[in-house]
Amino acid sequence: MEFHQPTTLDDALTLLAADPEALPLAGGATLVAMLNAELIEPSALVSLGGICELHTIEATPEGGLRLGAMLSHATLASEARLTGGNAVMRQAAAQIAHPAVRNIGTLGGAVAHGDPSSDLPAALVAADAVIEVAGPSGRRSIAAEGFFEDYLTTALEEGEMVAAVILPPQPESAVGHYEKFARVHGDYATLSVAVVLAMASGKCSHVRIALGAAGATPVRVVAAEARLIGSSLDAGAISEAAALLTAASDPVDDVRGSADYRLMLVPRLLTRALAAAGGAP
Amino acid sequence: MIIEEEFAVDAALAHVWQCIRDPGFVAPCVPGCQDVEDIGDGAYRAAVKVGIGPIKTTFNLDIEVLEETPPTFARVETRGQEGTNASRLTAKSELTLTASGNDATHVHYKSDVQVVGRLAKFGLGIMKKKAKALGAEFAENFRNAAEA
Ligand SMILES: Cc1cc2nc3c(=O)[nH]c(=O)nc-3n(C[C@H](O)[C@H](O)[C@H](O)COP(=O)(O)OP(=O)(O)OC[C@H]3O[C@@H](n4cnc5c(N)ncnc54)[C@H](O)[C@@H]3O)c2cc1C
Repeated sequence: MEFHQPTTLDDALTLLAADPEALPLAGGATLVAMLNAELIEPSALVSLGGICELHTIEATPEGGLRLGAMLSHATLASEARLTGGNAVMRQAAAQIAHPAVRNIGTLGGAVAHGDPSSDLPAALVAADAVIEVAGPSGRRSIAAEGFFEDYLTTALEEGEMVAAVILPPQPESAVGHYEKFARVHGDYATLSVAVVLAMASGKCSHVRIALGAAGATPVRVVAAEARLIGSSLDAGAISEAAALLTAASDPVDDVRGSADYRLMLVPRLLTRALAAAGGAP
Repeated sequence: MIIEEEFAVDAALAHVWQCIRDPGFVAPCVPGCQDVEDIGDGAYRAAVKVGIGPIKTTFNLDIEVLEETPPTFARVETRGQEGTNASRLTAKSELTLTASGNDATHVHYKSDVQVVGRLAKFGLGIMKKKAKALGAEFAENFRNAAEA
């Protein structure tokens, strides 16, 4: 297996284009585990660690943030500019595994791996983030909501990479919250709820909700959000929204919980997440 | 893991049975099936490519029809391994066809699938969902082809 350490994104893309069996290597948190388990056999690894552009955080002209693909979860967890609605990202990153994994694992790796039980995908959908993809034919932007397609399957095409994630400016007074339920601290979520919520005069004026570990991709239901908007987030509205989200969920049965158990968590975690985001007593 | 599926086909029972017992008809309906060979006595060989994200493999399968009651029932055993023998798969399946009226048939199958080896290190929860999705894709392909 060959090992490449390009220092520019273009060089990395050229290496990937030349060899369809090569894989980009971010922190290796998942990739090396898959190699050790002999689940993958890439012909070459293209390390992204030496590409400066992937390590930057910049404000966008629109008032949002552009986060480079190689930022670690630990960096995101302590990024002071992830406030308001975008705090959902900071909170999700802070709850990934343990410090060791947060120091190794990256935003781009988590996005590209597309594991629906991981924490960042749901947070990205709730924040209405855009994935900036770089490929042999240039760059393109894909809304997070359409980026995750199936288990471990994303909209990335052969030779393409995640270059950055763009978080939009969130509505003024929006609050983000990531509610993760796991068997033990540091485990993958049994179920999670990411919300970005804004209240005005006691009524919900903006809400985006995405569930993690609830299906093949983050689960978002526009009708559930519509049910909450304009309401005071009373128990009736929340339970109707939760019913719509539950109906759209199709979780796996595994050691972290049965499918039925995960579905049962949806209304409970949604209630907690909305309350924590300032929406309920 | 148990995989159980059912679907309806708008075609007569005898036609559906004929289709389902014809490897040349079934193979193109199986997602990822690359080639199939009839080796006689109800036995077949096939290569099927499957993958979840970056994890990809090809299973070489030996399929044997152990018992059949035309045109309604077949019991099939499938054994397979990856080229490298890194994972092995066995599936015991039962297929039941029921006529629903003159031109419609109800297809039901149940498989008990076991995977051992490297692929078993991969989460069973996702594997089961994947198997279900492939089953649904097969049903869709088969229905379209049998109704054509
Ligand atoms: C013990 C352990 C516990 C964990 N617990 C959690 C948890 O609780 N919650 C959670 O969300 N996650 C968890 N993770 C996952 C972890 O947080 C990482 O996000 C994930 O493993 C990705 O790691 P990485 O960034 O090092 O990418 P790598 O492992 O290097 O790569 C992962 C995949 O993405 C591809 N890739 C990497 N970067 C890019 C890019 N920029 N563009 C295109 N493709 C790319 C690689 O080719 C590979 O296929 C855990 C991991 C471990 C090992």
